[in-house]
Parts: sequence; C-alpha cells; structure tokens
Amino acid sequence: MEKEAKAGGSGREREELETLTITKVAEVSAAIDGAKHVDEVIRALHFPVDSPLVAGVILDERSRNQILSVVLPKDGERNCWKNAFYRGSAFPALSRILLYNVASKWLADFPKLARKQVYDSFFVEGPTTEIVQALVPSLKQKGSTKDDFNVICSNIERLLMLCLLENEGVRLMVGEFGLLDEQDNNILKPDKVTFISRISQLLSSIPDKVRLRASSALSSHSFFRRVANQLLTGAEERAVQLNCNAIPDAAFLFVGETFSHVCRRGSIDVIVAEVIPRILSLVQSFLSSNANLVVPDVINSNPKSHFWLNMVEAIKDQYAVEKFSEEMLRQLASTSISDVEVYWILWILFSKNFKFGSFVRGMFVDKFLLWKVFPLCCLRWILQFAVFECPPNSDAQMEGRKTPHFLNSLQLLISIWSRREFVQSSSMEQQAYLTAAVGLCLERISKEELDATKDALSNILQGVSCRLESPIDLVRRMASSIALVFSKVVDPKNPLYLDDNCCEPVDWEFGMLPQRKQIAAASHNEDENKSKLFLREDRKSASDEKKQRVIKHKSAENNALIQELADPDENRNPVEVNGEHFSGEEDDDDSSDSSLKPYDLSDDDTDLQRKFSQLGDIAAALRKHDDPDGVEKALDAAEKLIRASPDELSHNSGDLVKALVHVRCSDVAMEGEEDSAEEKRQKALVALLVTCPFESLDVMTKMLYSSNIDVGQRILIIDIMTEAAQELCNTKVVKREQKQGELVSAVSQPWYIPSSRGPPGAGPWKEVSEPGTFLSWSHRYEREIPSRPGQTKAGKSRKWSLGKAKDLQVEWSQNRFPLYAAAFMLPAMQGFDKRKHGVDLLNRDFIVLGKLIYMLGVCMKCMAMHPEASALAPALLDMIRSRDVSNHAEAYVRRSVLFAASCILIALHPTYVASSLIEGNQEISGGLEWIRTWALHVSEADPDTECASMALTCLQLHAEMALQTSRALEAADQFKAQTRTLPPKLDNIIIPFSSTKF
Amino acid sequence: MSGGGGGGKPRPPPDPIAVMRGHRAPVMDACFHPSRPLLFSGAHGGGAGVYSVATNFAIGNKVVSQGRDGTCKCWEIEEAGLSRKPLVTFRTNSYHFCKISLVKSASCSSQSSKAIPASERIVESDYSINELEENKKNGVSKESIRFSDVNCAERSQAHLKDFSTMGERKLMALAGEDSSMVEIWDLATAKKLMRFPQTSNVDAASHPTMQRGMCMAIQAFIPSESGCSLNLLSGYEDGSMLWWDIRKPSLPLSTVRYHSETVLSLAVDGTCSGGISGSADNKIVMFSLDHRMGTCTMRKEISLERSGIAGTAIRGDNKIAATAGWDHRVRIYDYRKGNPLAILKYHSASCNAVAFSADSKLMASCSEDTTVALWELYPPKGTS
Repeated sequence: MEKEAKAGGSGREREELETLTITKVAEVSAAIDGAKHVDEVIRALHFPVDSPLVAGVILDERSRNQILSVVLPKDGERNCWKNAFYRGSAFPALSRILLYNVASKWLADFPKLARKQVYDSFFVEGPTTEIVQALVPSLKQKGSTKDDFNVICSNIERLLMLCLLENEGVRLMVGEFGLLDEQDNNILKPDKVTFISRISQLLSSIPDKVRLRASSALSSHSFFRRVANQLLTGAEERAVQLNCNAIPDAAFLFVGETFSHVCRRGSIDVIVAEVIPRILSLVQSFLSSNANLVVPDVINSNPKSHFWLNMVEAIKDQYAVEKFSEEMLRQLASTSISDVEVYWILWILFSKNFKFGSFVRGMFVDKFLLWKVFPLCCLRWILQFAVFECPPNSDAQMEGRKTPHFLNSLQLLISIWSRREFVQSSSMEQQAYLTAAVGLCLERISKEELDATKDALSNILQGVSCRLESPIDLVRRMASSIALVFSKVVDPKNPLYLDDNCCEPVDWEFGMLPQRKQIAAASHNEDENKSKLFLREDRKSASDEKKQRVIKHKSAENNALIQELADPDENRNPVEVNGEHFSGEEDDDDSSDSSLKPYDLSDDDTDLQRKFSQLGDIAAALRKHDDPDGVEKALDAAEKLIRASPDELSHNSGDLVKALVHVRCSDVAMEGEEDSAEEKRQKALVALLVTCPFESLDVMTKMLYSSNIDVGQRILIIDIMTEAAQELCNTKVVKREQKQGELVSAVSQPWYIPSSRGPPGAGPWKEVSEPGTFLSWSHRYEREIPSRPGQTKAGKSRKWSLGKAKDLQVEWSQNRFPLYAAAFMLPAMQGFDKRKHGVDLLNRDFIVLGKLIYMLGVCMKCMAMHPEASALAPALLDMIRSRDVSNHAEAYVRRSVLFAASCILIALHPTYVASSLIEGNQEISGGLEWIRTWALHVSEADPDTECASMALTCLQLHAEMALQTSRALEAADQFKAQTRTLPPKLDNIIIPFSSTKF
Repeated sequence: MSGGGGGGKPRPPPDPIAVMRGHRAPVMDACFHPSRPLLFSGAHGGGAGVYSVATNFAIGNKVVSQGRDGTCKCWEIEEAGLSRKPLVTFRTNSYHFCKISLVKSASCSSQSSKAIPASERIVESDYSINELEENKKNGVSKESIRFSDVNCAERSQAHLKDFSTMGERKLMALAGEDSSMVEIWDLATAKKLMRFPQTSNVDAASHPTMQRGMCMAIQAFIPSESGCSLNLLSGYEDGSMLWWDIRKPSLPLSTVRYHSETVLSLAVDGTCSGGISGSADNKIVMFSLDHRMGTCTMRKEISLERSGIAGTAIRGDNKIAATAGWDHRVRIYDYRKGNPLAILKYHSASCNAVAFSADSKLMASCSEDTTVALWELYPPKGTS
C-alpha cells in the first residue's frame, strides 16, 4: 500500500519523483492542447493504467501502438510514483486539465471503457482527501460558456458520486485520517486540525454546490445519509482498530467535524436518523446480554462502543452538539422505544461529557429544560438522564440516592418557574413544558429534601399563586397541578385539589406539548370564557362550605321524599301492629279501596316562588342577603320585569344596578346552580342597560372605578356592558324614529303626547295637522287601533291633509347602539390609569384592564361605519396608544389592545379616514399609522404566539382599510382637482403593497 | 288490591268544584253545618275578625266563633243567616293561637260506623239533598233536635250519668287566659267549668305542663270505651301532646312528643281511637289511642318536603284525612294506611284549615289567599 511507498522513499527521491510527475503533467497538458483527435487525448492520459486495456478502446492504430510501446513501471515504483503524483502539486494541475479542458472538449467522445479506465481512474485511484480537494472547489468555477460550465459540472458531479458514494470514498477517508494520525504519533497539530476541518467542510458543502439539476444522489438528504453511513462505518472500524485507547483520534475528529458541518448546513436530522439505529442496536445488545443490570463498565470495555463514547466529544462545535442532541431526542420520541434504552443511549453519548464538561450539563439542564420545548417523553428522558442521573428501571435504593445536582437543578427550575415575568412573557408551550419539568421533579422528591432546599417552598407557593391569578385557564391548571403534586409531597394523605377537573395522575402535557400547533388558534372569545370561568371558580371555592351543607340538607330531603312515596305495602305494617281498631273494618275497606286510588302525586314548587311585580321589591329583595331564597327569586323575576320596561324603570334603574352588582350569587344559589344565578343576574343587568341605557350607565360607569367593589364585580360590569352593547347593536325590533322637528331628541315621551295606553296592538301616536290652517295652536294626534273581534270594516276612509313631509320621514334603524356609544365608552375610558384604593388596573387588576379594552373594542365594532365611530375612535386610540397599555407585560392586555385596534380599523368609514387625511387630522392619521407599526412590531417580536397571530390579522385589516381609503382618496382627488390643491398630509398613511411606500 | 294501580299514568289531582271568594282577609277556619248544606267560614285580618268557627250536632242549631279579642260568641243560625247579635258572648280573656274545639263524641257522631248500628247508616244514606231542602223548610232547629234525639235514643242504655250531663251541657274547650292551660267552658251559661292541669295556685308555675309553652291545638272528645267521660288532647309549643281525662285533671293520661316543633293542629277520628296531628316541623303523625291502657302510640309518621301543617281533618267515615299546609297545598292521605292520595294545588297562599262535611262528600279548605275552596274527593259509595 501507500504506506510502504512512503516509508521507502527518502526526501530526495520524493522531490525527484515530484519534478518528474510535474514534467509529465506538462507533457500531457501540451499533448492535450495539441490534440486533434480524441485518441490522442486518451493516449496522452493513459499513463496510470495498464496499456493493453486502454489500447482496446482506441480506434486509431497509431495511438494504439504508442500506448502499447510504453514501458510499464514496476509495482513498487508505481506506488512511489503514485504517491508523489497525488501528494504533490502534479495532481491538482492535472486534475484541472482533466476537469476543464478534457471534460469540456473531449470527454464526450471518450469510449465508455476509456473514460472509466483512463479518465475516471485518475480520481478513483487517488486518496479521497486529495480528490475532494480537487473536485469540490471546481464546482463553483465558471466555465467559458454556459454549456461548458454545465458539462464540466455534470462531469464533476459524476466523479463525486463515483468516488465518494460508489467507492465508499468517505469511509476510506476516515481510514486515511486514522493513518495520518498514526504517522504523527497521535498528536493533533493545528495544521492537521485545519486540514481535517477543511476536508470535512468541502465534503459537507457538496450538496449545496452541485447544480440544481444534479442527480438526486447528491441532494443533501440522500448524500448526507450515505456519507453519514460511511462515516459511522469507518469510525466503528477505526474504533475496533484503536481498541479503547488513543484518543483523540484524527479519524473521529474528522467524523465529528463533518457532522458539525452537516449540522450547520441544516441536515442534522439525516445524520441522527443514521446514528439512532446503530446505537440502538448497540444498546439493545448490551441490554439483552446483561439481563437487567447494565453496568457502565460493560459498555466501556466494549471496543465497539468506544467510538460512541467519544463521538460527542469529537464534535467540537457546541452548536452542532446541541442540535444533534435535540434532534436525537425528537427522533427518539417519534419511535417506540423504551425509556431504559433511551437512557442508555443518552448515557453512552453524553455521560462522559456530562460528568466533566460543563457545556453538556448546561445544555441539558439549562437549554433543554428552560429554553426548549420537547415532547413530554423527551422531558422525562432528559430529567432521567440529566437530573435524576439514574436509569429509569433502577431500584428504589438507587433512586433514593440523589445527587447534589438534582436538588440544584430542581431549585433552578423552581426559581424560574415561579417568576412572574416567566408567566407573563414566555410562550404557553414553554410554560407547560417547564411546569411539567417541575412537576415531574417534585414527584420524586421527599418532604425532607424539599425542606432542605432553600426557597423552594416559598417559590412554589409564589409560582402557584401568581398562576392562579391568570386569566388563562391553562395557566391556572398548571398551578393546580403543581399544587397537587406539591401537597402530596408535603402530606401524601391529603392531596390538595384546587380544581374540579384536576385528576390524580396529572396530565403534564396540558394538551399542548405533543401537538404544539393547536394553541395558536385559540380566539379571544375563548379567553373571555375562560376568564369568566375563572371568576366563577374563584367564587365557587368560597361557597364550598355552603355546598356541603346544602348537600346534606338535600339528601335528607330526598330521603324524606323517598319515604313519603314509598311502597304503600310497606306502610301497612304499623297499621297491622297497632290498628286493632281497624281490623273490624277490613272487609268494608277492601271494597272501597279502589275508590282510594291515589292521584298524581308529583309536586313542584314553582307556584311557591315569590312573585315580584314591582321593581322596587326586586331591589329590596336583592339587598336582603340573609334571605337567599328571596334573592334567588328576585333574580329569577328581574329580567322579565325589566324587559317589560315599566314607566318607573328609569327611576329605579340606578338602584337596581347597584343591587344587582352587589348580589353575591355564590352565597345565594343552591349548590350547582351558581352559574344559573350568575347568568340571571347578568341577563337582568344587560336588560337594564338595554332598556334604560343612560340612567343605568351613569351608575354603572361610576361603580366601575369605585373602590368598594371587587375585581369580580368590575369584570361583571364590563361583561355586562359588552353584552349590552352587542344587544343594542343587534336590536331586532325595528324602531320607528319619529322626527319631531327637535334638535335634541327626547328620550322619554313628551308630556303633550297622549299616553300609550290602549288596546294591545295599537300603533304609535302620530301628529296630524289641522286641516285647512297652517298655524295650529294645539297638537292633534291619532293612532291606529286594531279592529275589535267581530268588527268589520266597511268601505274606505280617506283623509286629505297638507301631507307634512315629516310624517313620511320614518327612519328604520336596526342599530341602536351608536346613540348610546359615548355613554358607554367615554366614562369607562376615564381614569383607567389612576391608582386608588382597591383599583389598580394597570398592574394588579390587569384582567379588568384587558376586559375593559376588549369591551371598548366591541363598542367600536358595534357602531362600525356610523359617524359616531369616527368621533369616538380618537379617544380610544389615545387610550390604547399609551405605553402602559400597548406594551403591557401581560399578553392578555396586549391581546385586548390588538382586538380593539382591529375593531377601530373595521369601524372607521373609509371616507372618514380619507377626509381626516385630507384635512390633516393628526389624531386619526397618526393613530392608524401607530396601529400599523405597532402591529408589525408585535407580529415580529411578541413572545405570545396568539398576540403575534392577532397582530397579523390586524395588519391585514389595516391593509384593507388602507385600500378602501385609497379608493376614497382617488374619488376625492378627482373632486379636488376641480377645486383646490391637496394638502401635504396625504402621505401620512402608508398603504401596504402599493407602489408609494413599502 | 291497593297495589292495583300499577299501569298507566296516574290521573291528575282534581280541581276544586267551587271557590268562595267572599272574604277580604285570610280565611282562618271553616266548618260545615252538621246537617244542612251550610258552610261557615271565619276570616281574620288585621286586628279583628273570626279566628275559628265551630258547630256540632251537640250544640244544636248554633255556631260558635272565636275572635282574637278575648271573646267567643255563640250565634243562632236563622233563616236568612246568622242572628244579628250573638246569643251568648263570653269573655275568655284569652289571646293566643289555639282554635276552640267542641266536643266530638264517638257515639254521637253519625258516621262512626262501629259504634252505631246499621240502622244509623240507613239514616245516613237518606241524607239526600232533597231531604235537606225539606229540612230547611220545616225549620232547622227542630230537625237538628230530632237528630239529636235519634242519636240519643239509639244510644246504649249503659251510658254513665256524667256523660249525659257533659253531653247535654254543650261544652267547648279552648286554651285559657294562661295560654298553657286548657279550659272547658259551658256554652249555655258562658261559664268556665274547669281547667287542665288543675293545680293549686302555688305550684302552678312549676307544673310540668307549664314548661311546654302555649297550648296550640285542642281536641275534645268523648270516647265510647272510657266510660264516656270527656277527654282532651292538647298540643303544645314544644311539640308535645297531652291526653287528659276530665276525671283526672291534675295529670295527663299520657304525654307524647312526636314533633320537634309546635303542634299546630290535632284531629281525632270518628271512633275516637286515633287521630292525626300536624305541626310546624315537616312531619305529620298518625297516632292511635288505647283507652284501656291510656296510652298514645304513633301509628305512622309521614315526612314532608316542606314543613308546616296548619290544619288537619279526618273525614267522618275515617277513610281519608286532609292536611292544610303552609306550602299552599292540601294533602290527602288514606287515613287507615297512611299513604298519600293527592296533593291539591289551588291556593296561592298558605292554607289555614281543612274541614269535611258531615256527609263526607265535600271538603273545604281555607287559605290566606282569602278564598275557601270546595273539593269533592273520593265520594262515599252510594252517592254519585
């Protein structure tokens, strides 16, 4: 082999050989340049191969003779010569000629055999490292013409496939590096390291350098798969050669370098896919041979595992190691593999570095637990390997012995988990993941250990409590899960269930770790429901004691019922025992028994409920907190009575609003019916707001910021306002607005109009003019009354009058909300940023703030395209633009802001936007521009995925709005062209996807 | 036989056949005339009115009313109604919640089929409306007396003397001036005859009966077994029930406490061998009285969903019993077996009393809602 040649040749000899080869190459080059026929080229190139073989393929007689006449060197000489040729500068020179000149001009004409024997052999025979160095850089060099370039490249690609894939050149390369290592006594000199790095880089760059139309074997997936396969085979062979010593090895280094380069090129998955079956079979062989006890020593002593133990070390690039490990875990998760096997795979790969290198430890404990999100099974493996540091099937004794690292890691996890910032700013998957990590760790800890770790206890409590305040249901579920596990650590017999649906084996996936894509779809509405639910749940806990009492009471009642309705035969016994007096009547009674057949004994208490007929009674009953039945009945009756809209409603509305808001439904209602009571209360309040908006809103908005109601009530008020706005907006009753010729519309009926009493079905009063006179001193009204049953209409009646136009101006409006919009929004927007006793919307009560903004958004939406929207939009924009709101730490608030911003975009009429641009209305134009930039910012940088997706929707709406506005502007332009020049404010709005900007 | 009604849906409870709305105040009590188709009802609103009404064969063609003003009045039933002025007004000086009770006699009761031989039942069946109409024409008082006479004539000869004296003296029982006492008044003379417990004034306060609170319900009766002496059942505020014999006024024959709350109503059946009691708790108790042993035993306890039974009544033929509940319902029970028969929902306020007509055909219920409802339930055989 070459080794002998190298050993045999002294320095001088080598120099001579080199000059010889160079002159030879010069000759060949000259010959090729002067060649007229392909045979001449073949003849010139034939020197490394056996002449007769070549002669067979050459057609030209002369050339054939020439080839045959050449004296072949002997084998030893040949090797020396070959070595000098490839290692020296001759090969690069010749390869250039071959790759460019020959390939572009002559190669197409080569006979197949000649190509293989003469041309290809130059590359196939040589050491792969040199071949790679010669071939790969040429891929990118431009030929003279495009055709030339294509020919050259396709040839190079062919050669690469031939050398690297078909001849397993990569595997050979590993061997070459091994030899290289041995020559230098296993010392990795810097130049050798750079050489290795260079080769591996060239190798890994091949798929990126080849042309698009290159063979699929060179596509990164299949190429790297085969390369990895060869690398691993080569490395394993090398490991057997080394037999557990001599590290670090250049061959391993090469493999590692290649892996890291492939990783940098984003194809680590291919490598991992190749690695897993190999290492798995290795682990399985260990596991099967050592039935239940796999001792690390067994693995260490096996030469085959030698490479694997050192592989991760060989990958010097930390990024690559991380990617490799991550991909490894993910791919393992998708296979059905036992925990034990995974543990040992991880152990083989990482244990060495884990013990000594801080990087791998940091990677597992910090990165994989705190920054990444893996499926739950991966999390278990990571914890098993990096935190518990024992195989999963180990006995209790081994488990009981916990490393100091364990407690440190746990403490780290808990401290991060408990931070409020973490809850606020990290994504939901991340939170679920970390929660699962903490929970799984806590499941393994004992009370003593918990006490030993400082701060852990308080941190857990802090984390749980700050999660329980969250508006997001999932976050609260995380808190209750941790609380459950924690309580079991503290007292195994007394688990703490904060939640009804908190089950015993905690589902640490929280429905999001494996299918991670789904949460982004959650809408704002869901959140709203969740927060409602949250409130209710909170209230629920308060009424737990009451519940128990009620349950007892109920069961007693039920027993009584059962007794009462029990089989009459059973009841006969006492009669027979004590009823001697009746025995004489037996015969008489039996005959009449049939007459004593019971009637239907079903009974309900609907008629027993107190009937409320006065609004005042309801308000009074609601205030009597010591009479829960009365309150409940008042709640039952309230909505219906309010909807009936009696005359005194406007006087009682404020009173009712206060009473309803202050009712504690959870105390009043029976167990399990809190929700319905709550619903009734809400419905009644909505009815109040809808039937009597101004008076009720006056009271309600004042209460919103008063310090004597709690967060739940504040949220209730906001919810009510939201619902009322929507109801007013969707009024189905078409209201006939009568224009009385007044500028100020009267809310209540004016005194001079007759009362609306009358038979059902009577129409509204209409003013009629006095016929004949233009001036009338009195008002005359008439209305239509339905004909009485039995009354028949005979003939027609006609009425002639002056026919005032206003009678005909009957407006049909479906949306009643715009009239009240200002009353809804303006008071609510005042003072949201003030801090008072018990009121702190910006920080503590951020849920209220979020809901408030959401409500304002709904209000905006409800008056979309109405002129009122344009009047109120600047105020709302002003509010949401304030830094404290738009950059709020809680994602919940930001979501609301995005919602409100979107609503503004929907609500503004394009012509209004256009006119405000033309007029230079800074409030609107600036605000809209702010929405765009801010939404852009959020969509790019917000940690909350839902925020980001909402921001995208917001951007879309902005684009639509801009489009509509630009159309309106065009119309305005046409108009303006005739009137006056456009003011310079026009470009204040950026229209995306149009040519002006963007 | 009783379990025969397995198939099909049970029929819905009946509606009242008539509703009388003459009153403007809650109707407190009602009673049927023993022989004529008359119903007396008393309403009590505010400070004035009739708290209870009672009439009986024994007292003749008269009706007694009780007010809350410390008086009871006895009225003559005249052709066109009641007499303008009461026959007798007697000041009892009692201000309490206990309704008066006339004496119910086992043998006097025309419907007590055990004590009265078959001939009596023929008489009963003769009570057709026509006859009553005729009675009306002929003059009621005479008719009434006639019935009394018939009853007395058919009485066994073994009656003791004190019975006849008691029976003919037309007595009335009510809670007294001291409301934990029970007093017996003579209707004719308007005089207090005696009181229970009969104690000397010194130890009055320490008598065990005094500890039981106010007397809330009384039923006076003359059983046939116990030598025809007047007996009394009285229910008290603490839920206890005492059984007195007029011959032993110092101590009750028997004391039982079946109720956890105030006893509100007591009714004794036609044979005076048992009865039913209602109270402010959620129980109805049917009990039986053993006259030989002088013991009262619980026969059946019925638990209710909603508490409060203001009135009870047992029909003359001892077949059914009715209760008037605070829950606006009148409940009908099979008196013999104790199983529920019907829940009558008509009243819109709590019911105060129920009463059966002497011919067992009708039942009246009176309520706070100022109405009196008439019901026709399980009419006796032979009538349609």
